[in-house]
Amino acid sequence: MKRIRLDAIAFIVILGGLGLANLLNFNKPTVSTLENRMLKDRPSLTWSTLFSGDYFRDYEDYYSDTFINRDSIVKICRDIKDSLSLNEPGVTLVVAREQNAPVNEAPDTVPAPDGQIPSPATPAPSQDPGNLPGTQEPPDNEHTSEPVPTTTPAPEPPREFGEDETVAYYLIVDGKAVQLFKFNRESMDYYAEVLNKYHEALGDKVTLYSVIPPTNGEFVRLRKYADITDSQNDAILYLNSRLNPEIITVDVYDALNRHKDEYIYFKTDHHWTALGAYYGYRAFMEATGREPVPLDRYETVKVDGYLGSSYTKTLNKELEKNPDTIYLYLPFTDHEYTMYNGNKAETADLIDMSYAEGSSDKYLIFMSTGGATWSVIKTDVHNGKKVLVMKDSFGNAWVPFLLPHYEEIYVVDARFYSKSSTGLNIPQFIEKYGIQELVFLFYMEDVNWAKFMNGVENHLK
Amino acid sequence: MVFSSLVFLCIFMPVNLFLYFIIKDKTWRNWVLIISSLVFYAWGEPVWITAMLFSGVFDYFNGLMVEKYHGTWKAKAFVALSVAGNLLLLGIFKYSGFFMENINALFGLSLPVPRISLPIGISFYTFQTISYVVDVYRGEVKAQKSFFKLLLFVSLFHQLVAGPIVRYSDIATEIEHRRVTPAGFSDGVSRFIVGLGKKVLIANTAGELALTFLNTDYGRLPVTGAWLGILLYSFQIYFDFSGYSDMAIGLGRMYGFTYKENFDYPYVSKSVTEFWRRWHISLGTFFRDYLYIPLGGNRRHLTRNLLVVWFLTGLWHGASWNFIIWGLYYFVFVFIEKIFLKKILDRLPSVFSRLYTLLVVLIGWVFFYHTDMGQGLRFLGVMFGKASAFTNSEVSIVFRSNAVFLIIAAIASTPLAVRLFNAIKACFKDNRARIAFMDNVFRPVINILILVLSLAFLVGQSYNPFLYFRF
Repeated sequence: MKRIRLDAIAFIVILGGLGLANLLNFNKPTVSTLENRMLKDRPSLTWSTLFSGDYFRDYEDYYSDTFINRDSIVKICRDIKDSLSLNEPGVTLVVAREQNAPVNEAPDTVPAPDGQIPSPATPAPSQDPGNLPGTQEPPDNEHTSEPVPTTTPAPEPPREFGEDETVAYYLIVDGKAVQLFKFNRESMDYYAEVLNKYHEALGDKVTLYSVIPPTNGEFVRLRKYADITDSQNDAILYLNSRLNPEIITVDVYDALNRHKDEYIYFKTDHHWTALGAYYGYRAFMEATGREPVPLDRYETVKVDGYLGSSYTKTLNKELEKNPDTIYLYLPFTDHEYTMYNGNKAETADLIDMSYAEGSSDKYLIFMSTGGATWSVIKTDVHNGKKVLVMKDSFGNAWVPFLLPHYEEIYVVDARFYSKSSTGLNIPQFIEKYGIQELVFLFYMEDVNWAKFMNGVENHLK
Repeated sequence: MVFSSLVFLCIFMPVNLFLYFIIKDKTWRNWVLIISSLVFYAWGEPVWITAMLFSGVFDYFNGLMVEKYHGTWKAKAFVALSVAGNLLLLGIFKYSGFFMENINALFGLSLPVPRISLPIGISFYTFQTISYVVDVYRGEVKAQKSFFKLLLFVSLFHQLVAGPIVRYSDIATEIEHRRVTPAGFSDGVSRFIVGLGKKVLIANTAGELALTFLNTDYGRLPVTGAWLGILLYSFQIYFDFSGYSDMAIGLGRMYGFTYKENFDYPYVSKSVTEFWRRWHISLGTFFRDYLYIPLGGNRRHLTRNLLVVWFLTGLWHGASWNFIIWGLYYFVFVFIEKIFLKKILDRLPSVFSRLYTLLVVLIGWVFFYHTDMGQGLRFLGVMFGKASAFTNSEVSIVFRSNAVFLIIAAIASTPLAVRLFNAIKACFKDNRARIAFMDNVFRPVINILILVLSLAFLVGQSYNPFLYFRF
């Protein structure tokens, strides 16, 4: 054998060719529409990043993130893996992993975006990527962002949020993605402990509600695989037994269960639909002894072609073929919605159609991302009632239904609230605005995630 | 940098190959290798490259001294200095935290525990330089007069970060004179591609799946889940490490170096003793030649010698008790086999001896994986029936989704594919054209396929952990 062999030639040509192609590809993408996330930026070279090794790690992430034709390559890999499966058609278990997590991010740097792509219409200034709201919930989101006030560079010490291994399991049955729930007693106890602490801190002046939307795992028919996910109803019952009896528990579970054949959850996203949120709102009304507004009072708008977080995480083909439709119920109560980012106030639309177009995550329509440091909705219902909703992204579809019942609705996302920009912890916040009711609305995976609840506890201090 | 990264494959390697082969001068070629090796190392370890350079300078000097004072007590002293210096380096970086923790636990103290991050490859290059000085002392090689040639041996990026533990004597002549032929280069590329495929296609996939069962609440893990989990982990660790060795050996061939084999299908072994002759061969022979035999080998203090070797083999894999227990666990089996079991195993049908070995190895990985011994024992309990259920849907879905993958991984753990290939060639006996087709078309095409798939999966999976960084 005198000549160089075929594979050696291919080796040189392919690797050299790819290297050159990447070198000459000047218009590197900054976002992945497929995965709905910001791609890694080219790291900046400084002595400190060089010596800590961060520069090299970041460069490797940047290089693979911006690799030529990355999106199509990712899809080809998925197809290869799918084709090897021996499961009955329509059933897949996907182990999803957070993709955009920097390996070692220095705590004082601006956090990477929360896995979201800003819509072109996003008013959020570019130097403030940390405040993009998360519709991707913490358990499958490696680093929940610090809130970064627009005007001041993150002065707050970093909270201990998600540094553990983050793996989420999705079962996809008949075109519906279900994130598997694993009951964790310690986390449940911690949730109860945190809420009881709030109750202790706030005393009798404020009524506390615990609203826990389950995930769709409870309601989707899982065929013979029902035992794969733990009962969230049992978890809720367990929780209720640990909560101070003066905290009012709202039975969202039962309300949703009665309508489980309706379109109450997205198929390709882990959130509930506005319809599901409406049933959650009805349960809340029942618990507070108020009359819910019937759904037909609302004018509806339809947004087609939504592929949500579960699709993004799994890139599953069945999901891709069955995108969701978002039905929106437009508020009829006159109101003004103000979002505070750091010290900056901006009015926004509660149902923000600028997120309906393009490739952005369409769930961001609800409450115009819902990702402010805090926000307030003032209505023309002059009944003097004021509520604070401490929520995760499940709250974004739910809060708009409260409008007919309150004069002022304060909204705090547990992940984005920051004492450093308001100067108030939550009890002080409640005191300052004369709030009478406090609603905790976190979906089951956040309730089951101690690090998330740790953030909630920190807002007490 | 690791070989299975896109930066290495698409930037470092093409540039390095280009520079190396455009330059014809031997000395300059060595310079290309040294400089690119330093860049390669600094990419992952920008600060502690100093430790590696120190090790190189230190043993360059020791090697010269040992040769100069050959036959006197001074030569011995410099060997001792070299061994002590390298072990001290290893001790500080790798074991000081573990040592202090144990001192604290033993005496109820709370002395500060140093937290030093382990410089990449330190477990490998310290052993390599020790072997160099000892070999000079034994007169097996001549001391290297040129510092830069010794530095080339120490820093060579092929085997720097994850072995195999290459001895200076293996490549002493190739540092001076080496020939790269088109055939040798092609063989090197083939070998590299096979290693890349093992790492990217099998090890990474298995690792991801293994987490489903290993990174979970063992209170609710079913029996079948534990077995599937540890099986996947066994695939991960074998294909990760042997894939990396293949890539190192392949790279060596591409540049005209011949490294010894490091793995020989360990999972088909018929005894635990045999397993360790096939697993991480360069480590086993290192301990044999530089520790076991000097201690007296089989002739004197057999039990003590084995115990020392296995204790240190365990400890070498990581500064944690579970690795020590893992090592001692193997001591027990190797010892029992030496006394009587081997004779029985030899008479049994090979099915039984293979199953026995696999079982021992799988359980061994349980100790290896769990740094928390309590968790390890809980996991073992689940494997042997102390579980809430025998099986569940999760296990059956994962199993069925990946049955094809598991079969591929199992076959790739055996020499079946290579034997089949050779058997087909043997059928063509005298038909040279057909044999040439198998060698020059069929196999290269398979390799190209593996390369393309591996690249696609590397882009597709940003998940690319590297297991042996711990060592």
